[in-house]
Amino acid sequence: MSTARASLVAPGPRFFLLFLSDGSGERLACTQIPAVVVARFRYHPGARSHGCAVGDRARPGVGDDAPCALVLAASYVLVFRNSPLLVQLLFWYFGVATLLPETAMTWLNAAHTLSIGPVTLGWPSFEFVAGWFGLTCYSTAFIGEEFRAGLRGVPGGQYHAAAALGLGPFTAMRYVILPQALRIALPPLFGQYMNIVKNSSLTMAIGLAELSYASRQVDTETFKTFQAFGAATVLYIATIALIEVALAVFQHRGARMSHRS
Amino acid sequence: MPLSVLLDNLPYLLLGPFPHGPLGGAALTVVLALSSAILSAFLGLIGGIALALTRGWAHVVLLATIGFFRAIPVLMLIFWTFFLLPMLLHINVPGLATVVCALALIGGAYLSHAVHAGVIAVGTGQSQAALSLGLTRGQALRYVVLPQAVRIMAPSFVNQWVSLVKDTSLAYIVGVPELSFLANQVNSRLMVYPVQIFLLVALIYLILCTALDWCAMRLLSRHAYRSTTDKTRPDLPIAPAIETI
Repeated sequence: MSTARASLVAPGPRFFLLFLSDGSGERLACTQIPAVVVARFRYHPGARSHGCAVGDRARPGVGDDAPCALVLAASYVLVFRNSPLLVQLLFWYFGVATLLPETAMTWLNAAHTLSIGPVTLGWPSFEFVAGWFGLTCYSTAFIGEEFRAGLRGVPGGQYHAAAALGLGPFTAMRYVILPQALRIALPPLFGQYMNIVKNSSLTMAIGLAELSYASRQVDTETFKTFQAFGAATVLYIATIALIEVALAVFQHRGARMSHRS
Repeated sequence: MPLSVLLDNLPYLLLGPFPHGPLGGAALTVVLALSSAILSAFLGLIGGIALALTRGWAHVVLLATIGFFRAIPVLMLIFWTFFLLPMLLHINVPGLATVVCALALIGGAYLSHAVHAGVIAVGTGQSQAALSLGLTRGQALRYVVLPQAVRIMAPSFVNQWVSLVKDTSLAYIVGVPELSFLANQVNSRLMVYPVQIFLLVALIYLILCTALDWCAMRLLSRHAYRSTTDKTRPDLPIAPAIETI
């Protein structure tokens, strides 16, 4: 195990290259909750589509995925990436309300509370749920692709080395491949999180009172257009800058840890 | 009957009230995307070349400007252009122009970095070789570096254009009658078929984006194939010449 860990290659300049070659180079931003949820779901398209879409025939241990899972993941990414978020949000907001059974809708619209000690969490509005769900589904496609790119960036020799050490496909993935892939995928991933922050502004179209919506409301009520939009713009830029700082801290820490090992 | 309802509304979604009124719907989406794609490519080229050529404080100012456009949501920039442009120009600017302006600025900011990255990827050796041949810095960029850089950054351009097509849907916020706006209109008129309508609209966008992506990638791969075969040909007469030396 220790040998396998020691063989982890410091990604070095690849970081930079991936960041630059990340076509869209998009670095944007949203509410915190979708980011957390996406972080939990993101493994799915990436891990699933890895085997076939990547077409890395030379790698043992991976690439034997069922083609049906691949087709599913690839079509998910195709559909969610190639249609606008706005239309997706409108679909989740207006469409799902008619698709779901009556009881589910009343449950979603009713007030629920969850008490954990002194903290009481209230159930959010249906606008919030629809916006959160739509944003999550949309971002999953992009983040899955970033993970795939990260997995592709791990040299084939690492798979062979892990297999030669007697690691099974899952252990190899967990201890050898994923840590490296994560490090490679980190900058574009943070770019995607910035995208989520920026994309969250679209939820105003379904009536969620987030920053853009609020600034527009302030503008119509006070006619102070400059101040209203200026404040919102500054807040967006501050959020993006914060994510940028977080990335720098993560990378710095990652580099130090890989030096130590 | 949802299908007949959808078929009845399909011409309206695709063209808007076109023969009898202004162009709208998917056709307007294409117009919006095309004009902002051309403008953003232009801005991106200028921005990228400027990034590659400037040093010191000018470079920092440029980076900050591009960073600003990359950090704010498209929607926020549409608000800004929508309210600022008429104020600055003292004329009534149509919503369409403000959206094109916003999309071109955002696209241009992203493409600037793509172009800059392409120029870096070509390598300093190429521009040094060009300079040593007696070309000026501008000529070296124009005839040696950029033709190679464009090939490297072409996929980024395609990516950016696909996301431009998707971003045209934001014109809905300022009342430009493109596809999403009309979809919302049809939805509020019919009331009972939101699922079918938004799925149809998503499908139209999907076809637009996938077609753009597919055609561009096909073109690019053919181009790349041709350029590699071109490159091997001039080598042939050179090889014997070296042997005679």
